[in-house]
Amino acid sequence: MIKGNRIAITGVGETPFLRKGEEGVMKMMTRASLAAIADAGLTPKEIDGYISNKYAGHGSDEVAFAIGAGEKRFCATTDSVGGTATSGQALQLAQMAIEAGLARHVLVPYAIQSTKPGGVYGFHAREPQKAGIEMPVGFFGQPTYFATMANRYAHEYGMTEEEQASIPMTYRAWAVLTPSAQKRDPMDLETYRQSPMISTPLRAADCCLTTDGGGAYVVSAIEEARDMPHPVVSVQGLGLGFNNWPQGVLFTQTPCTYDFPGEVSAKLAYAMAGCDPKDLNLAQIYDGFTISALVQTEMLGLCERGEGPRFYAAGHGRPGGRMPINTSGGHMSGGYVPGMNLLIEAVRQLRGKEGDRQVPNARLCAVAGLGGNNHSTTILARS
Amino acid sequence: MGIPIYPPKIEDPLFQGYYDGLEAGELRITADAETGEWIWYPPEVIPGKPDAVLEWRKVSQEGTAYTFTTVIRSLLPGDHKAEVPFTVVLFEPDDAPGVRVPGLLVDADDVEPRCGMRLRFQPVQAGDHKIAGFASLD
Repeated sequence: MIKGNRIAITGVGETPFLRKGEEGVMKMMTRASLAAIADAGLTPKEIDGYISNKYAGHGSDEVAFAIGAGEKRFCATTDSVGGTATSGQALQLAQMAIEAGLARHVLVPYAIQSTKPGGVYGFHAREPQKAGIEMPVGFFGQPTYFATMANRYAHEYGMTEEEQASIPMTYRAWAVLTPSAQKRDPMDLETYRQSPMISTPLRAADCCLTTDGGGAYVVSAIEEARDMPHPVVSVQGLGLGFNNWPQGVLFTQTPCTYDFPGEVSAKLAYAMAGCDPKDLNLAQIYDGFTISALVQTEMLGLCERGEGPRFYAAGHGRPGGRMPINTSGGHMSGGYVPGMNLLIEAVRQLRGKEGDRQVPNARLCAVAGLGGNNHSTTILARS
Repeated sequence: MGIPIYPPKIEDPLFQGYYDGLEAGELRITADAETGEWIWYPPEVIPGKPDAVLEWRKVSQEGTAYTFTTVIRSLLPGDHKAEVPFTVVLFEPDDAPGVRVPGLLVDADDVEPRCGMRLRFQPVQAGDHKIAGFASLD
């Protein structure tokens, strides 16, 4: 079993998050990588390990070439999706490489071009079951899948429109304080209701943004991190949860369609970190949709199961609340570079220099990553 | 309410029996031919039994809605603006617990969809093919 406080995130960087950008994935990954390496006080020649993401479409050879790297000693590719890959599994692989002595400084780059033809729904259309059975009845696309989860959740636990709206309103309140966020205009219930309905009960405001952008981070051994430019932000806990339902049947045939493997990942992460949810100062939660963010908030133990709507409506996740959540606006208001911008924000909050949106005395932050049939919980600490 | 028009890939033999059933006015799903266990959607390999064979079996035409959504903006590839809104339900046949078949809620103009609503299978013509449809019994 891997142990906490052995690795640190020593550098973070990103590109601007744009509704429609001019650059492709490779160029955005390169820019974000160079920014992260510089933030770590390193040169590209000092990067000797790489964790690629199979959905980025570019391997470590291309990235190493693009950043002008030195000798590569380790590379691996995440085999999970979304936030699980970028904010969970990539760290697990990096820790294994560093602790085995295979690499000193591991780069984790990712970028997404949501506006590329085929968009973010293209991989669903390639699933035979979806193309064969679901698409002909119009059941297609993440907002539609997650809308059915929201209706089922509301059936089982209750959720008013006001409670649902309080989730994107919470994240928007943080985005207002975040200069790099894509959506910074304030959102109240009235403006929420003006957002176009996509698939009941989900409005556009209940969905993550369309973003062209990239992010990257550098992972180093904890001993190395102590001599690097920033306060040490270490990985204290890390848990991955998986179920064996393939993506093609995931949204219809699982016994409970919104029962992501988040309780498993959270339990593992808290055990590794030796802490409880009450010890956290803040959290970053993968907010592809209001319903998925809501359920993960419960799975992380930030509130009781079924009480997420009341938790958000009471303002607990907002600036000044007892458990600040998605403090740069998350994926719904900050930008959608799956999992990556949430992890970067966690690191920055723990460094403690985020101005108006800085959470006071931030020492411990959970980052939840969702990938459909997989989930990660990462607990970062300022050492 | 509209009807989504998106041709199924019935050339895929995995789904031929499903569409044959719709044409015949029956809801058919797949089961392990040896044990009768429902295996749905039809996978390329029955879990743990690569030599096992799937067969199509008729299921109850009545059941309940596990969940639903009314699609206002269709995300299907292409232009489908004229086909919305429509309501999709996940139908659980009475005699196949745990199995869910996605389909269109038909005759839905005055129906308030809800989880647990009682439904009856009623296939719908969608362009030049039939799709699964379900009418409210409530």
